[in-house]
Amino acid sequence: MPTAPLRVAVVCSSNQNRSMEAHNILSKRSFNVRSFGTGTHVKLPGPAPDKPNVYDFKTTYEQMYNDLLKKDKELYTQNGILHMLDRNRRIKPRPERFQNCKDNFDLVITCEERVYDQVVEELNSREQETCQPVHVINVDIQDNHEEATLGAFLICELCQCIQHTEDMENEIDELLQEFEDKSGRTFLHTICFY
Amino acid sequence: MAVSMASQFFSQEEGTSEVVSTSERVVELLNMAALATNDSKITMLKQVQELIINKDPTLLDNFLDEIIAFQADKSVEVRKFVVNFIEEACKLDNELLIKLIANLHMLLKDENVNVVKKSILTMTQLYKVALQWVARSRPPSEQQESCWDLVTEMAADILLLLESDNDGIRTHAVKFVESLIVTLSPRTPDSEVPKRQEGDISLEQIPSDHAFLKYNTLRDVGKQAVKELLKFMAHPAISSINLTAALGSLASIARQRPMFMAEVIQAYETLHANLPPTLAKSQVSSVRKNLKLQLLSVLRHPSSYEYQGPISTLLLDLGTSQGEITRHLPPPRDSNRKRAREDGEGGQKKSRTDIPLPDDDDDKDTIQLPTIPAPAPSTQSATDITAEFLRPLLSPENVANLVLISMVYLPDSMPASFQATYTPVESAGTDAQIRHLARLMATQMTSVGIGPGVEQTKDVPVDVVEEENTKPEGLVIKRRISALTKGQAISVLGCQSEKAKEEEEEEEDAPLAKKRPEPILPATQIRPSGVGGRKKVFRLKEVTEPLTEVQMKSLKLGAVQRILQAERTVGSSGASQMRVKVLARLVTQLDISVKAEVLSHFLSDPRMRLDLALAWLYQEYCEYQSGAGEEAYQECLIGILTGLQERPDQRDGVFTKVVLEAPLLTDSALDVLRKYCEDEGRSYLGMSTLRDLILTRPARQFQYLHLLLDLSSHEKDKIRQQSLHFIKRMYEKESLRPYIEKFALNYLQLLVHPNPPSVLFGADKDTEVAAPWTEDTVKQCLYLYLALLPQNHKLIHELASVYTEATADIKRTVLRVIETPIRGMGMNSPELLLLVENCPKGAETLVTRCLHILTDKVPPSPELVKRVRELYHKRLPDVRFLIPVLNGLDKKEVIQALPKLIKLNPIVVKEVFNRLLGTQHGEVSSSMSPLTPGDLLVALHNIDSSKCDMKSVIKATNLCFSARSVYTSEVLAVVLQQLMDTTPLPMLLMRTVIQALGMYPRLGGFIMNILTRLIYKQVWKYPKVWEGFIKCCQRTKPQSFSVLLQLPPPQLLSVLQTSPDLRDPLLVHVRAFTPHQLAHVPHSIMAILEAESRTDTGAEESAQVEEEQDTPAQDIIARRLAQEKSLKKQIEEQKGRNNQEMEEVAEVDPPAIFIAEEEEEEDSMKSQGKEVPQEDSSSNATTAEKSPVADEPMEEDPVEKKD
Repeated sequence: MPTAPLRVAVVCSSNQNRSMEAHNILSKRSFNVRSFGTGTHVKLPGPAPDKPNVYDFKTTYEQMYNDLLKKDKELYTQNGILHMLDRNRRIKPRPERFQNCKDNFDLVITCEERVYDQVVEELNSREQETCQPVHVINVDIQDNHEEATLGAFLICELCQCIQHTEDMENEIDELLQEFEDKSGRTFLHTICFY
Repeated sequence: MAVSMASQFFSQEEGTSEVVSTSERVVELLNMAALATNDSKITMLKQVQELIINKDPTLLDNFLDEIIAFQADKSVEVRKFVVNFIEEACKLDNELLIKLIANLHMLLKDENVNVVKKSILTMTQLYKVALQWVARSRPPSEQQESCWDLVTEMAADILLLLESDNDGIRTHAVKFVESLIVTLSPRTPDSEVPKRQEGDISLEQIPSDHAFLKYNTLRDVGKQAVKELLKFMAHPAISSINLTAALGSLASIARQRPMFMAEVIQAYETLHANLPPTLAKSQVSSVRKNLKLQLLSVLRHPSSYEYQGPISTLLLDLGTSQGEITRHLPPPRDSNRKRAREDGEGGQKKSRTDIPLPDDDDDKDTIQLPTIPAPAPSTQSATDITAEFLRPLLSPENVANLVLISMVYLPDSMPASFQATYTPVESAGTDAQIRHLARLMATQMTSVGIGPGVEQTKDVPVDVVEEENTKPEGLVIKRRISALTKGQAISVLGCQSEKAKEEEEEEEDAPLAKKRPEPILPATQIRPSGVGGRKKVFRLKEVTEPLTEVQMKSLKLGAVQRILQAERTVGSSGASQMRVKVLARLVTQLDISVKAEVLSHFLSDPRMRLDLALAWLYQEYCEYQSGAGEEAYQECLIGILTGLQERPDQRDGVFTKVVLEAPLLTDSALDVLRKYCEDEGRSYLGMSTLRDLILTRPARQFQYLHLLLDLSSHEKDKIRQQSLHFIKRMYEKESLRPYIEKFALNYLQLLVHPNPPSVLFGADKDTEVAAPWTEDTVKQCLYLYLALLPQNHKLIHELASVYTEATADIKRTVLRVIETPIRGMGMNSPELLLLVENCPKGAETLVTRCLHILTDKVPPSPELVKRVRELYHKRLPDVRFLIPVLNGLDKKEVIQALPKLIKLNPIVVKEVFNRLLGTQHGEVSSSMSPLTPGDLLVALHNIDSSKCDMKSVIKATNLCFSARSVYTSEVLAVVLQQLMDTTPLPMLLMRTVIQALGMYPRLGGFIMNILTRLIYKQVWKYPKVWEGFIKCCQRTKPQSFSVLLQLPPPQLLSVLQTSPDLRDPLLVHVRAFTPHQLAHVPHSIMAILEAESRTDTGAEESAQVEEEQDTPAQDIIARRLAQEKSLKKQIEEQKGRNNQEMEEVAEVDPPAIFIAEEEEEEDSMKSQGKEVPQEDSSSNATTAEKSPVADEPMEEDPVEKKD
């Protein structure tokens, strides 16, 4: 086990569903975890595919919840959005944008390849300061509730394994290979430096 | 310290006080931290750091030692904190480097990787700090110099860590190298300078007149670092993370130090064409993504202008859209290649003036400058030149040939990297594509140091350039070789170099010879110490030392042991099948000690681990089948079987299972099985295993059967019985029958040999040994045969034929052992009957023995009797054949045979009589006999003396009399009656009468009657009988007196002459008659009686008185009275009688012996035989002397019995 607890970040596009689901589970397992989105805005499904509800990252979950409650309680109850927001607001006040966070992590887990690209690009574009390494791993998760739950468990398992390694950096390669074999998924994995 | 302790107490007491000084607070925290556990310790230490670095740096010096003391803390986090503190402290106060650098050096060698990593990161920061601090000190102190020396040493150490075993440490080392390169190379105008690092020192700021910092030295260190980094990245087994880190570092270097742009781009190109084959698929895509990202970031840099071609090509290959590439292009610059380079050089000059320096001794630097940019263009041009050279050569024909040739070198399976990167060539044949291809090939060729480009650049006289070229090339060759051995090389390269070689033979020979030896892998292992920091990544060969034989053995053994011990764990997880498989495979390939280990594991619980043993066995068998020697299989099988055999408890049947399931039973395995069978306690298990083998393995059936048959002559009785038992059951199988039979008969035939063949003693050779046959060896040959006999009666004929040829000893043994089987066959067996009928010459005794056995307890069957009779009458008139079937013959036949029978050996005769009298055993009544006992006795008397000598007849009658239970008085009476009626009277009649009388005195009356009747039959005409008659009268007096008186006078006279002692009692008897009675006595008789009586008138008178007083019936009383009256005479008479008795007693002994002992009897009979004719001839006038002697033997012992 590494001497210090892992600092984990889970990143998806809007910091609503996938990253929050993982955030929820990881924090219950007492991980030092934070969650982010990489999009320019927070988007939630609306009454039609071409009419999403768009918020900026400053809007709190509470506000979104109330807004949607007001707009169409039945619809947003039925598609689980309200429930999701309700959960989110218990975890933290508002969504966070990864690009705006200057804190250091040991491990960043992204939920789709586009997000992974954005995270890596962001980290690479920053000026290097401490050369502290950060591993970025992408776990593809479809953006729906069920997949989010499944994905969150996979992420949790992955984090637990990494947390339990004797020397994370030396073993992570092999660990990921094992995980790929076991889960049948492929993980993009890279290293960046702060 | 005392003060601080005191202040601690103070602060505790005054805890709430707000006016605690920073110093006191620090002291308190430090003391608490020293005692605290991990988590709070870090927190406190961090507070201390905050206080003394940020809040009140003046305190830093005071508490430095206390904090540094924590570097020995056992907590990793605390040690990491110390590292961090050193960094912060040194940044704050550069002078502290002198104090702290040694501590950092220690921490860099820490045993924990995380501390090492942290130390590397700190060094990344402090290297610049230290350089700057040293460079700006004027004049530098000695302490500074030694401090710098240590920093330099540490930098070299970290460079060496590129070869660390630990992935993370290598990653950190890459970052350090990046920073080192940036620091040790001059910043140029086109350098991208991160804002944060604007103040950082770089090479161009090194004053030329520094006491110990030398521009050239530092520059070379930097260049060396570049080479190391490139080499690191070119390693064929680099991990994806290391590769990612290196890609990023190179991009960063290229942007900050565009002078290295060419090398970086070329490295990217080479990498793209030769992705490490060790990468997994997802890693390949991660790396490609990263490569693309880094290329774009490089492309964005203005200095990439002249490399836009190759970069764009690479990006296109990586799947970047043209639009994206264009977006990342730097703003166009109005300069061509040359201009750009000039700009670069000019820029460098300018930069020196641009950057404000504390000192202005710049001019001296410029002297060195012109050589610096040289490497980039020269390498560039090498590839370019080669590409240009190749382009016209790439005609469709040549390309096709290249493809064909390279086919040979393709690996068997497609490497993951190739699979991931392959994109179909869209614009094949276009000029752009040909150019691209030419460039690709040129890159490869330049890498391996061939092609016109290399030729030309090689000529550049500058040493530095020479080195620049050869080093990276050597590296790439190295990769090619190792990649080739992995069968995953990009084959174009190999054939390309060959082709190129052909094209440029003479010129190429020299440089190749010069460059090639260097990169050979093992050589580099020896060298690195000289070069300083070198390669990278994980290379198995380098980090491992060859194990010693012993180590390898113990490791192997250990591994197998662990698998063995994991039995339960594996079993519970359901992978025991897999475990067994793994073990079987492993063991087969490993050496003896491991096998022994597995074997003992198996033997400790054979029942549960049978599958393991069998799996192993089959694995060995597979090896054997696929060409390996038989030894391993044999060893395995024998090991298992022997081990099992030695185990005490065998009821689990594991042995049997192994034997039955073994794919092949070798000869030595059979030997083990044999031993197993020979173990008395296990013979049943062993043999039933053998039986199963015989029944289930037809291919080698007879081999197994042979073993079982062999056991049938085993010396141990139990084993033998057991095997015979099994064989008998086998014998019921039609298919096995002939073999078993042949085996049995072969053994039987051995009996014909004069000496027992060595087969019987276990040896396989058929040589005869000198040892004689013993009963045991004979039996050995017979066991199996005899066991089979009851099942197949036909075999009996074989025995008969062998028997005729065998020696007497063997015959005896045979006769002894055949009893049970013959009895088993029974007298109704047609084969046996056939044998009796045919009775081969020489086998008579055998047949007789068979007959005896058959009839021993059961009366003979008519069929058997018929055969025997036929045999007897037609072929072999040996009466002995008849004995067993006597009871089956009819009366006439028996009587006919009787004379012959009684002439046989006395024992046999006795048996004959036993049979005839039914006395041989209780349950069969004599009624089964064709002759009643009476008939027998009569028949004996009637035997014609010409057919049989009297002696035998006498013996035979004696045998009859000895069977007293059969010959009761009634039977004898009937016999006597019958004999009386025969004419002429049998010679032995009177002997029998006397014997009967001896046995049954109460027959006296009856015998008197007989005697009387004999008189009517004129008994005196038969001399022998007459003799006996007289004897009988003598014995039976006074009863016989009345009989005597009935004799005609001449005969009476003869009697009295023969035995004169009768005269007086007879006379007394007659005189005792009443007158009336006396009147009936003829005068002639009286005359004879009285003729010689002179002295006994008194006695006659008294006798007469007696006769008158007593009734004639009361003979005894009368006699007594007479005795009393004539006392004197009686005394005389008694004396005379006593004398006679004495004589008789003396003479009675021989008859007693005569009856009991036949030997003596024969002698006496011989003498008697001579005398008998004499007696016949002398008829009436026999001498009184002789006749008693002659008759003595015929007498019983009447005298004693009378008393």
